[in-house]
Amino acid sequence: MSQEKKSVGLYGFTGCNGDQLVIIHSEDQLLPFFDSANIKSFSLAKSDNDNSELDLAFVEGSISSQEQAEHVKAIRERTRYLVAIGNCACYGGIQAMELGAKGWDQRFRKVYGDGFFINRTPIESKPIDVFVNVDFYLPGCPIDARQFFYCFAHFLQDDEPVFPDYPVCAECRWRENDCLLLKGELCLGPLTAAGCGARCPSHNLTCLGCWGPMKEANIGAEFNLLKEKDYSLEEIKRRFRMHTGSGMMKPLKKLLGAL
Amino acid sequence: MRAVKIKKENLFDFLEAIKPFGDLWGPVKSGDGYVLEKVTDYSNIEMSALRTRIPFKKLLFPPKFTMFKFDEKGIRSSDEELPRQVIFGLHPCDLHALLIMDNFHSLHYVDPYYRERRERTAVIGLSCFPDDRCFCKATNTHYTEKGFDLFLTDLGDFYILWIGSSLGDDMVRECPELVDEEVTHDDLEKYIAWRKKRESNFKLKLDFTGMPSIMELSYDSPLWDELGEKCLSCGACTIVCPTCPCFNVIDEVDIGGGTGERTRRWDSCMFREYSMVAGGHNFREARSERLKLRFTHKLQAFVGAFGEAACVGCGRCIGACPVDIDIQTVAQNLKGEEVKA
Repeated sequence: MSQEKKSVGLYGFTGCNGDQLVIIHSEDQLLPFFDSANIKSFSLAKSDNDNSELDLAFVEGSISSQEQAEHVKAIRERTRYLVAIGNCACYGGIQAMELGAKGWDQRFRKVYGDGFFINRTPIESKPIDVFVNVDFYLPGCPIDARQFFYCFAHFLQDDEPVFPDYPVCAECRWRENDCLLLKGELCLGPLTAAGCGARCPSHNLTCLGCWGPMKEANIGAEFNLLKEKDYSLEEIKRRFRMHTGSGMMKPLKKLLGAL
Repeated sequence: MRAVKIKKENLFDFLEAIKPFGDLWGPVKSGDGYVLEKVTDYSNIEMSALRTRIPFKKLLFPPKFTMFKFDEKGIRSSDEELPRQVIFGLHPCDLHALLIMDNFHSLHYVDPYYRERRERTAVIGLSCFPDDRCFCKATNTHYTEKGFDLFLTDLGDFYILWIGSSLGDDMVRECPELVDEEVTHDDLEKYIAWRKKRESNFKLKLDFTGMPSIMELSYDSPLWDELGEKCLSCGACTIVCPTCPCFNVIDEVDIGGGTGERTRRWDSCMFREYSMVAGGHNFREARSERLKLRFTHKLQAFVGAFGEAACVGCGRCIGACPVDIDIQTVAQNLKGEEVKA
């Protein structure tokens, strides 16, 4: 290719690094990946990382300290596009789980006591877009390698990737699975963004919502349907908040407030 | 059309004999339902299966396929030849849907991707007995004299084998020793008795008479908003529908940027982006608008464009929707009838 290679950085904040691992584990794509761009920073994969200007930054993990918040703002300052990758970056993940009225301070003390932190000022875990503008969301827990490389390739071409704007149900039906919701199970398929290929329902396991909500998730209809199937409010809330942090609980709380 | 007979015990031998006509696809058990699958062990075919989860359409335009590959020099069509296929076990409703699909893909514009697969496909229909979701009598699609190469009517210990095309005739000529050319008056009587028994077995009574007029007068019905509140926009109704052909075209470039492929994927009018155009404007932003589109298209607009409704009464949507929005509940609602969901 005659064009100059784009500069790309990959960063990880609070999370399991699972999304970067998915990339590293894609051996058949690694050579073209490193060949097609100047990978300026990818600390999970290489040591000579720098803080130069970027065309594209992929950010994994949620923000759980003031220092991380400053760091992600600095990345935003020097990149043209910022893509949040994985559930934690997109929606806060499990560590941003909404756990009722007690509040973050109390929960934090219960786990860490009153000790102090060196070089770190903990704050309640939040998704990336609470702190910086995010250009594109690549959800998943962990992300899907195919979706990542598709997204990466399109950004290198200055072309916005087209991601599904429909729920897991569609992918599940394409695979001709039995509908778990119709069988009376607590499945979040209708609310959850497609992209995983309906992995769990294809193994007869209900959808936990780990891709986060699709844009138009009809949370009210799903809530009513689950109530009709005799699930308690507690059971529904537990499932909603499990994987998507703020992703599904915020709209559910809004809905419950309105009930 | 010509009729011969084949004994039930000869069916598997017959299927074996027509192997040169392509891979055999038939209904097999999967979980609580049936799916169309490639069959090598004929005893896996479920002869009593009424509806596969996804109809035959997946074999004529798969949920996702590559149209062509491209690089910086241009496009390259695939030189891989598609396999020939024989679809076994389509009931009259699906055969009517197949005719609708054929029409749709060739009447105004011939779709080369559909034609490529269709020309390599032979169809063997199979008679059926309705269950409580079948309403093909209401859509007048419970019999068919066309749309198949061969059709089997189950009359106990033998089938009447209807030959509907020269391709079907070729198939029978592969194994003349397996069929009985002589159809007797006794067989006619058995056939008439079977028809009567089948006719009396339709439990779901729907009436689609004058439905285009009802749809025309229903544009402002509050029903659409009510359904829009409930709809999960999951697309299940369109995925299982044998007359839903909509697709999207998406390019996938490889990492280097120099190569890639153009793919076609099933789309659904229930999806938000379906009616979105360049610049971000969405003609059907609300779910209620999309539902109205789907049902008026099936029961009214299609009649105007192609002379018949695009519902064949297969009953798939009745079992598929988690919130009971289907052609039955919509039609009953609009006509002010008692709605059974």
